[in-house]
Order: sequence, then C-alpha cells, then structure tokens
Amino acid sequence: MIKMKMLQKTTFREIRGTFGRFFAILAIIALGVGFFTGVRITTPAMVHAVNTFLQGKQFYDYRLVSTLGWEEEDVEAFQQQEDVRYAEGANTADVLFLDEEENEIVLKVHSLPENINQIQLEEGRMPENAQECLIDAAYTELSIGDKISISEMNEEDTTESFKEKNFTIVGTAYTSYYLNYERGTTSIGTGNIDGYLYVLEESFDLEYYSEIFIRFNQDEEIYSEAYKEYMNQKLNFWENLTQEQAEKRYTRLVNDAETELQDGKEELSDKRKDGEKELADAKQELDDAEKELADGQTELDDAQKQLTDAKTELDDGEKELSDAKQELDDAEQELNDAKTELDNGNIELENARQQLEDSEQQLTEAKAQLDSGWEEWNTSQQQLQAGQQQLQVGQNQLDTAKQQLTQTKTELNAQEILLNQKQAEFAQQSEQLLAMWEYLPEEQKQAYQAGKAELESAQTQLETAKAQVSDGMQEIQAQQAELDQKKQELEAGLTALAEGKAKLEAGQAEYEAGLQQYEEGKEAYESALIEYNAGKKAYQDGLQEFEDGKKSYEEGLQEYQEGKQEYEDGLKDYQDGLAEYEDGEKKYQDGKKEYQDGLQEFEEKISDAEQEISDAEKEISEIEKPDTYVLDRETNIGYACFESDSEIVEQVAKVFPIFFILVAALVCMTTMSRMVEEQRTQIGTLKALGYSEISIMGKFTFYSGSAAVIGCILGYAVGTALFPQVIWMSYQLMYMPMNVEYLFDGKLALLSLGAALLCSVGTTWISCRYELAETSASLMRPKAPKAGKRVIFEYFPFFWNRLKFLHKVSIRNIFRYKGRFFMMVIGIGGCTALLLTGFGLKDSVAGFADVQYGEIQVADAEASLKSGMGTELPENLKTLLSEQTEEYIPLHQSSWDLVTKEKVKSMTVMMPFGEMNHYMNFRTPDGEELAFPEVNEAIISNSISERFGVNIGDEITLRNEDMQEMHVNVTGIFENHVYYYIFIQPETVKAQLNETPEYNTIYMNFPENADIYQNSAEIAKNEKITLVTLFQDSAKRLDKMMESLNYIVLLVIVCAAGLAFIVLYNLTNINITERIREIATIKVLGFFRKETSAYVLRENVTLTAIGIIAGLILGIFLHRFVMSQIIVDMVSFKVRILPMSFLYSIALTFLFNFMVNLFMEVKLEKINMAESLKSVD
Amino acid sequence: MSAYVEFQHVRKIYHTGEVEIVALQDVNFEIEKGEFCVIVGASGAGKTTILNILGGMDTLTSGSAKLDGTEISFLNKKQLTAYRRYDVGFVFQFYNLVQNLTALENVELAAQICRNPLNAAEVLEQVGLKDRMKNFPAQLSGGEQQRVAIARALAKNPKLLLCDEPTGALDYNTGKAVLKLLQDTCRNTGMTVVVITHNQALAAMADRIITVRNGMVEDMRLNEHIVDVADIEW
Repeated sequence: MIKMKMLQKTTFREIRGTFGRFFAILAIIALGVGFFTGVRITTPAMVHAVNTFLQGKQFYDYRLVSTLGWEEEDVEAFQQQEDVRYAEGANTADVLFLDEEENEIVLKVHSLPENINQIQLEEGRMPENAQECLIDAAYTELSIGDKISISEMNEEDTTESFKEKNFTIVGTAYTSYYLNYERGTTSIGTGNIDGYLYVLEESFDLEYYSEIFIRFNQDEEIYSEAYKEYMNQKLNFWENLTQEQAEKRYTRLVNDAETELQDGKEELSDKRKDGEKELADAKQELDDAEKELADGQTELDDAQKQLTDAKTELDDGEKELSDAKQELDDAEQELNDAKTELDNGNIELENARQQLEDSEQQLTEAKAQLDSGWEEWNTSQQQLQAGQQQLQVGQNQLDTAKQQLTQTKTELNAQEILLNQKQAEFAQQSEQLLAMWEYLPEEQKQAYQAGKAELESAQTQLETAKAQVSDGMQEIQAQQAELDQKKQELEAGLTALAEGKAKLEAGQAEYEAGLQQYEEGKEAYESALIEYNAGKKAYQDGLQEFEDGKKSYEEGLQEYQEGKQEYEDGLKDYQDGLAEYEDGEKKYQDGKKEYQDGLQEFEEKISDAEQEISDAEKEISEIEKPDTYVLDRETNIGYACFESDSEIVEQVAKVFPIFFILVAALVCMTTMSRMVEEQRTQIGTLKALGYSEISIMGKFTFYSGSAAVIGCILGYAVGTALFPQVIWMSYQLMYMPMNVEYLFDGKLALLSLGAALLCSVGTTWISCRYELAETSASLMRPKAPKAGKRVIFEYFPFFWNRLKFLHKVSIRNIFRYKGRFFMMVIGIGGCTALLLTGFGLKDSVAGFADVQYGEIQVADAEASLKSGMGTELPENLKTLLSEQTEEYIPLHQSSWDLVTKEKVKSMTVMMPFGEMNHYMNFRTPDGEELAFPEVNEAIISNSISERFGVNIGDEITLRNEDMQEMHVNVTGIFENHVYYYIFIQPETVKAQLNETPEYNTIYMNFPENADIYQNSAEIAKNEKITLVTLFQDSAKRLDKMMESLNYIVLLVIVCAAGLAFIVLYNLTNINITERIREIATIKVLGFFRKETSAYVLRENVTLTAIGIIAGLILGIFLHRFVMSQIIVDMVSFKVRILPMSFLYSIALTFLFNFMVNLFMEVKLEKINMAESLKSVD
Repeated sequence: MSAYVEFQHVRKIYHTGEVEIVALQDVNFEIEKGEFCVIVGASGAGKTTILNILGGMDTLTSGSAKLDGTEISFLNKKQLTAYRRYDVGFVFQFYNLVQNLTALENVELAAQICRNPLNAAEVLEQVGLKDRMKNFPAQLSGGEQQRVAIARALAKNPKLLLCDEPTGALDYNTGKAVLKLLQDTCRNTGMTVVVITHNQALAAMADRIITVRNGMVEDMRLNEHIVDVADIEW
C-alpha cells in the first residue's frame, strides 16, 4: 500500500510539474468529446424539444376527412373507441381577408381546438366572442387590435360559412399544427397562405365539421420506431372505421332529409288549409264593413244639407243685424254732434252777453277820462304862457349886466398897461439906484422906497378890480345858463301840450266808434238767442227716437245669437259623424290591404314551399356516397419537414468528430510516448526496485486517464449544452420559437468516455509496452538519441544547396519524427479545413440571396394583381406603369403540384405574357444561356432537378387545385436558388386544359436613378394592385434570416482555433522539452533570442504551412459534403467558397500559429543555459 | 597593462526561494593571453560558477570580471549573448552536438554566426576528422564527437576557449588525445585555453594552475614544470 502511495505521489507531482502537457491531453480530449457529443446530441435534443412540445399540445395522430363532413354524432362514435384519448371535430376554411387598408390577405381559418393540437398563446388573450380571433404569431403584418374583414371576393360558400364578417385580433399564437414557417398553398388569392387564424367554434355558421382529429392513448416519442409501429397497427382498422362512420352519416343524412321532406309536405297542406280559411273569414268581415260605411255616408249627406240651410239663414240674420247696428250707430253719432253744437251755441251766447256788458262799462269810463283830460290841458296852457313872460324879463336884466361888465373890463385893461409902463420905469431906476446904492443919500433911498411901495399898492388895486370883474362875469354866465334851461323846459312843455291835445281828440273819435259797435253787437245777440232755443227743442225729439231704435236692435241681436249657437252645435255633431266615418273607411282600407297582402304571401309561401320541397327532393337524390381520408402526422408539413431537417445535423455529426478523435489519439500518443521516454530511467529504477509492470504502467495510465476523464466530463458538459442551443438558433429561421432543453444521454456519455479512454489509456499502454519490455539495466542507460538522417531533399543539390543552413536544419527536424509530422498536418489541416468549411458555409448560404436577386431574378419589383383581371390591364394601370417603370411584363403565377412517383410537391409555375429576358436570366448552372420553352415544354429550377430527380427530356406532370393535370417536357434546367420555379408558355395551359390563365402578377424594372421606393409606392396605390414587392427587400430579408448562421460559423471557428492551439502547443512543447539541451547549447553558442526561437519555431511555421495546404484541399471537400447535407425547402444554396474565405482561413490558422509561437518564445527564453552542462538523463 | 582575463573580488550568490547560497565568496585571479590555464577544484567548490561567469552564461553579484580589457560583469542579456557569440568558444563535457547535423554542419552552425570564422572543413581537418565530416554525431565515437565540439568552438575564432571537463565522458586514452589537441591548439595558435576540471592530475600540463575551494581561490601559480600530456598519468 505504501508503495502505491509513493507512486501516487510521484504521479501527482508529475502532473503538477508538467501541467502544460497534462492540460494538452485534457484539452484535446475535451475538444474532441465536446464536438462529438455536442453534434451528436443536437438532433436528439431538438427532436426531444419538439416531442415535448407536441406531446404537451396533444398533437394529433389522425386527421379524418370525409367529403360529406362530420357531425357531433360521428365525433362521439370515434370517441367511443377504446384506444382514443381525444376525438375532436374542427372547422377550417381558406379565406381572403381585407385589412384596414383594404390589402388582401389569405388566411387559413381554424376553429379553436379544445384538446388536440392545442395552440400556444404568445401575446394578448384568447378570443371571447365570435368577433374575436387569434393571428399567426409569425405573420407580423397584423398585430393585436387590428381589424380584418372577410373580402367580397370570396366565394359565396366561404362567406356563408361564417356568422361574422369582421374580426378583431386579440392575440397572437403559435400552434403545434404549423411547426415550421410553411403555411401551405390555396386556390384563392395569390395562392399562398399568409398565415393562420384561430376563431371560436361559434364564429362558424356550419352544421357540420370539416375534419375530425384523433389522438390515441399513447405518448410514444415522435418519429420513433415504436410510434411508427403503433400507427401501422391502427391503419387498416381506422380506414374501415372511418368509411363506415362516413356512410352512417350518409344514411342518416338521406333518411333525415326524407323524413324532413315528408313532414314538410304535410305541414304544407295543413298550412294551406288554415290559410285559406283565414282568408275567407277576412273577406266576409271586409264586406260587412263596406255596407256599414255606405249607410253612414247617406246619413252624413242629409245632415250636411240641413246645416247648409241653417247657415244661410244665420248669415242673412247676421247681415240684417249688422245693418241695424250701423244705422243706430249713425243716429247716435248725429245726436252727439247736435248736442255738442247746442252746448257750443249756449257758451257762445253767454260769452256774447258778457262782452256786451264789458263794452258798456268801458265806454262809460272812456267818457269820463276824456272830460278830465280836457280840463287838465287847459290849466297847462295857462301856466306855460306865464312862464314865457317871466323868461323874457330875466333875459333883459342879464343883457344889461353883461354890458356893464364889459365896460369895466376895458377900463381895467387900460389901467394895467399904464401900470406896466410905470413898473418898467421904476425897474430901470431901481437898477441904477441899486448899482450906486451906498453912495446914495438916505433920502433918495427913502424916495426909492416910497415909490416902490406906491407902485406895489397900485398893482394890488388893479388886481383886485380885475378879480371883481372876472367874478361878475362868471355870475352872469351862470345866470345865462339857468335862463337857457328854463327856456328849454318851457318849449318842452309846449310840445307836450300839443301832443295832449291830439291824444284827446283821437280818444274822442275812438269812443264814438266803440259806442257804434256796441249797439250792433247787442242786436246780433238777441237774434242768436232765439235760434238756440229752437235747436234745443229739435235735439230732444231726436234723442227720444234713437233710444226706441236701440231697444229694438238689442232684441234682434239676442235672437240671432241663439240661432247661431244652435247652428254650431249642429255643425259639431256633423263633424264628429264625419270623422267617425273616415276612421271607419281607413280601417276598411287597411283591412282590405292586409287581406290582399295576406293573400299574396300565402300564395308565395305555398309556392316557395313547393319549390323547396322539390329542391329537397332533388338534393336528396343528389347526395353522393362519401369518400374518406385517414391522414396521419406525416401529412403535416411541419412535422414531416422537421424530421428531415433535424437529420442534417446528424449527417454532419458523422464526419466532423472523426477528425477530433483522430487528432486526440495522435496527441495522446505523442505526448505519452515522449513522457515515457523521458521517464525511462525512472521506469528502469522502479523496475529495479521491484515494482511490477502493472503498477508502473498504472502511473502513466493514471496520468493520461485522469486527463482524459476530466477532459471528457468537461467536453461533454460544454458540448452537449452549447451545440444544441447554437444549432437550434440557426434553425429558428424556419421553425416556430421553442426552447431546447438540456438533454442528458447516458449512452453517449459512456461512449465518449470510452473513446476518450481508448485514446489516452490505449496509446499510453502502447507507448509503455515498448519501454517496459526492456530490461531494467538498459532502461537506466540513456537512450541513444535518435540519429540524424538525410532527408529526401538533400538528393536534389540544386534545391538543397540553395537553402540557408538553418533552414536545412529545420527541414531535417521536420522529417525526423513522422508521428509528429502527421499529427501536426492533421491537426493544422483539420483546423484550416474547419475554418474553410465554416466560412464557405457562410458564403454559400448568405450569398445565394444576392446571386438570386442580383444575377438571376434581375427584375426590380413584382406586383400582385387583384383576381379577375383577365388578360387585359385597365387603361389607368397601363398609364401608371408606363409612367413609373422603364418596362414591365404581365405574368400568371400559380401553385401547381409536381407529381412524381415518390412524392407530390408544390411548385411555382410562371407563365409570362411576353419576353422574359429583362426580368430573369435563364442560365444553366454552368453559365450557358437557355432558350425559353415552346408550348408544352418547360424549364425548371436546378433545385427541382436535384431534389426530385427530374432531368432534361423528362415529361413532368403538374396538377392544379382542381386536380386538372398538365404534362410538359423539360427542355432546360436553369440556375435558381429561391423557390421551385417552372416556366411555361401560357398557351400550354390553353392547349392542354382549354383555359386562359389570367394576369395576376407584373414584373417591372424601374428607370435608372429612380427612387424605387417612391415609384413602387405610387404603383401600389392603384386599386387593382394588392401588393408590390421589391426584390431588393426580399434579398435583404433573406440575408438577414441567414445571419443566424454566423453562430454556427463562430462555433466552428472557436473549435478550429481550439484544435490548432492544442496541437501546436502540445507539439512545440514536446519539441522543446525534448531538445532542451540542444537549445541551451545553441544559446551558449551565442544565438540571439530571435535566432533561437526562429531555430525552433521555424519548424512550426513550416508544418503549419503544410497543414494549411492539406487543410484547404480537405476543406473544399468537407464544405461540399456539409452543403450537400443541408437541405432547406424551396431554397438551393450557391455552393461556393469566396477567395476571401480562403484568405481568412489561412490567415486565421497562421494567427493561431503565431500566438502559440509567442507563447513558446517566452518558454524558450526561460530555458537555462546550464542545462547544456547537464548529462543526458 | 592588466591581464588578459582578470577576476577581482568576484562574488556570486544564488537565491533559491528564501535560501541564499554563496557560490563564490571572493574570487581573484588573472590569466595571460595565450596561456593554457587549468582551474581545478572539488565538486561544489565553485569552478562551474566561474565557468558560467567567464563564459557569459551567468552574471555575478559583485566584483569585476574582464576579458581582454572588456568588463563583462554587468553586461545585459543581449550583450552577454554577443559576448558568447564573438569572444568565447565552449567545449562541453557531453559534447552537446546537434544530433541532426553532420560533423561539418555542427561546426558550420557555430561558424556561420561569427564575424571572422575559420573555414569549418579546415578546422575539422586540423582536429583530425577530415574523413568524418559528413557523418552524423550518432555515427561518431565519443572522442570524435568531442573533437567536433572542439572544432566547433575553434571555428568561431574566439578570444578564449572554455572547456568544461572535456575528458569527463571519455575514456582514458581518448581523453588524453583530446587534451593533447587542446594543448597543441594553445601552443600552435596562441589561443588562450581555460580547462575546468576536478582532476588534479591535469594541472601538470597547464601554464597556470588555479585551485578553487569553497568559493575562494585557494591558490594560483604559474607552473614551472610543464609536463606534456602524454606524460601525465591519472
């Protein structure tokens, strides 16, 4: 036990010490196992996922179809069968719908299933009433909330099978019934079903089911042998059962119909009797009513006459009364006028009397005034005369005084002049005296003084006199003024006196005139008074008369009103009677109408019923015996396609892993033999110590075995988890979304573990066996290094001598170890081949859309026409097309089944009305031009030829929806990658089926530089165009779909990289450890870093180059093989590898090589030169 | 004028984990140009370390080492490689021939990377292998292989020929022959030859004898009684 422990210890140490090597084995095993199990598990995992889904949704086992349809009774009968889990009736119809923009959509409508083929709701909710529906989740043109309606273009049968014409989408769903993208074809619309629609059973207005689905009481895995066996046993029994049940329905149908017919007939005769009786009664009633109405009429006429007479009488009375009234009114008016006149006369008289009295008074007063006036005037005259005398006296006095004064004044003036002379003299003397004043004697002085005083007093006297004169003068003037004023006053008084006299005389005259007038007035007054009294008497007589007249009028009025009331009552009675009569007549008319309608209806109904009965009789005689079909799962496109699609991976799975297993074995072998070689001495020592061969071998076995087991577990876990997911991702473009669960396959795990152990332990054992066979002693001697050898190239001196010395070394080294050489070439070659296949896969798959729409189908766009177009385009469409396109061509495009011995497959048959050259290039896959076929000839896509084995010269059979067949000769096969196209002349259909295909498609090319989106949008607006598809968009869409392949390419690249790394690393690692002394020596010799690494790694590069060349050749074949395994319905890939892909593959391989070299250079750098001093061990 | 080869206070310490191993404590010696020098010492005395340092395969911790006036103690990796390439010729105990190359090619391998290489064929002729030039190492005897190794070292036309136990893997007579070749080379071409050995007996044929012990030069002396190789016995 202890020895085992020590051995284990050395083993673990060994692993730790040479981890790179250990890891290389682990990694290559992991990679190999991962790839192998990953690819292997993919198909089962995918099938398992689909199986889980289908079983969960209770996918049907049988779909039973009868030409007569089914009833609930039939469903129940099938349900009675022991082995049936579910039996369910369902309805379906292909319907042309219109969306909100009036675009046509072809949808397959299914009734919502209960148990079988359950749907999977993606978004929204389930329909809750007959106007709601679920839409195909893969059909993205419509979404929740959209409304669609059944088009008028549908056939009547289709339209009638629905209760509702308008539906609202409330959810999207996937269904087990449509696993892949194909929705099938139909005879309506474009011929292609755009998607499915699920509605409630109650949305259908049908009394029967169109199909019954059966699910047996089994859960066998899909596609399994067990399932196929199970179903095989059922087939005969069920075919018979179905036919029987359908015939039962037939009998039931006929019997029911006949019974119904009999009942109908009886009912008809009963009904007829009842109807007739009813009608007769009605007639009698009507006649009575008519008589009654006539009596009423007579009565009414009499009444009317009476009323008219009364009316005339009344009118006369009324006239009379109104005349009397008028008279009375006039009289009253007159009386009133007279009264007024009288009153006025009275007032006038009174006024006149008053006036007279006033006049008398005035006259008296005026007489008195005149008398006093005369008296006054005489007094005034006397006064004035006295005043005149006085004035004359005053004047005279004044004049005298004035004369006196003037005399005085003159005297004074003379005195003044004298005085002035004296004064001047004195002034002269005084001057002289003053000059000699002092010299004068006192007397003289006195003289002077006396003279002077005398003079001065004279002066004063004079002045006083002067002042007296002036005062006198003034007084005179004042008295004069006073006198003048009095004189004036006197004159005014005189004038007034004259005026007074005139006035008095005028007053006298006036008075006399007034007196005269007064006398005349008095006389007139008296005559008027007499007149007035006479008028008054006449008025009172008239008043008496008027009142009498009024009384008699009022009596007449009373009488009239009574008569009128009487008349109105009579009229009212009459009108009531008339209304009553009219109602009666109306009723009578209605009754009559009713009677006539009833009569007509009765006749119609009877005749309809008779017609119906005869139709029913005819129908019953026409019911055909039913045909039945028992359809199994294989007839479901999705189910059948998935089986073949999933097998593709399985096919590929058979090839790829061989590489990895081979490389893994080689890697293990080289690694382990090197290890054993390295451990020679140790083996010898152990052997010498007495360890058994088994236990020694156990060490190596454990080393490689543990690496293999770990690698295997790792590889299995990653491979089985990763591959199905990545590959399923690329399948998603064709199938409904589904999750692939992790699937553990114990058998596969064991198998891969076995292979891994065989690779590792097996090779270890082989390597060990050699060494262990040697004796302990020889083992302990160093093994002679493998001798240098000349290589074949050396015998071509021309080549060899030109090589650089170090290159020669490399070449010799390369060929020194054959095992490593092959391992390297296979590993690197495998890597390159994988890369090339991966890239080529992408080129082929991704490029086919570009080739299809860039080189083959070169038209710019395709427009779908509404059905019923015939073979003539409407003028407005022609104009539009010639405006918007450069050129266009009408075609008929429809789905036909290609019928071969093995299978029936739907094809797109194209019939161009004109030259197709500018829209589609017909070339053989080799590039030769093909001629368009003549009548009764066809050219077909290469994919049809390849998949269905049709060749030039073969006659093919095409069958349309109405099961009409056409036979045409294949004259050419053209390269085409999308859809199965068959081109024929329209005349072929005419010649063979005597039908003219109508225009339903237009291919068009737009002018250069045109905005094709704009132009196509313009065209799509035309009411005859349902859809315009740009091929450019189709290409883009396809390309996008194929993008998922990038995952697979990436997966391949990662695996290829892993392969390259492991192989290169491992080989270089072995190489370096083996040649460590040589490398150390070279370093001691003074090789620079780069020279050292070049010396060693040049071999790697050379081997990589050789591996790449081998890999490219291998890759081309591998790619072809893989492509031949990938079959996608209706698509044929362009098998090609672009030059860039070659470059990428080469470049990537070199890149991996370069990266390993970089890593190894570091390792080389670390080699200690002291190694060179060691002995060989 | 200093000596051709000169070691002054050379100290070398190896670090292995936390353990310090003093390989050389304080080594001082010099060798004159054209001398045949034998460095002798027991296993672990430090002679291989001296060889590594002198051969440019290892650096020293402190001190100074010179060859022909060039300080080699602190050269970087690349300079060390160049030093090995142009200035030193190596002869290994186990010959270290490239198995995949013929005798001539092994010589050429070294010759072609030098500045003034000698003609490979001529050198082989000199070492007496004119007829075995096209043979692979596996086809040659040990002595012959060591001759090829010597030829490889000489062809580089180095300043110094370093031989590590050149006779260690050879039998007595062959060893003698190889030593003779080395001595002759030294005498005839004026090549400075340093032989490292644990065999005291070989010291007798040297111009200069350096004895190493415990990482120190125990003794360095010029040999006054140079004995011919043929007369040495061990």
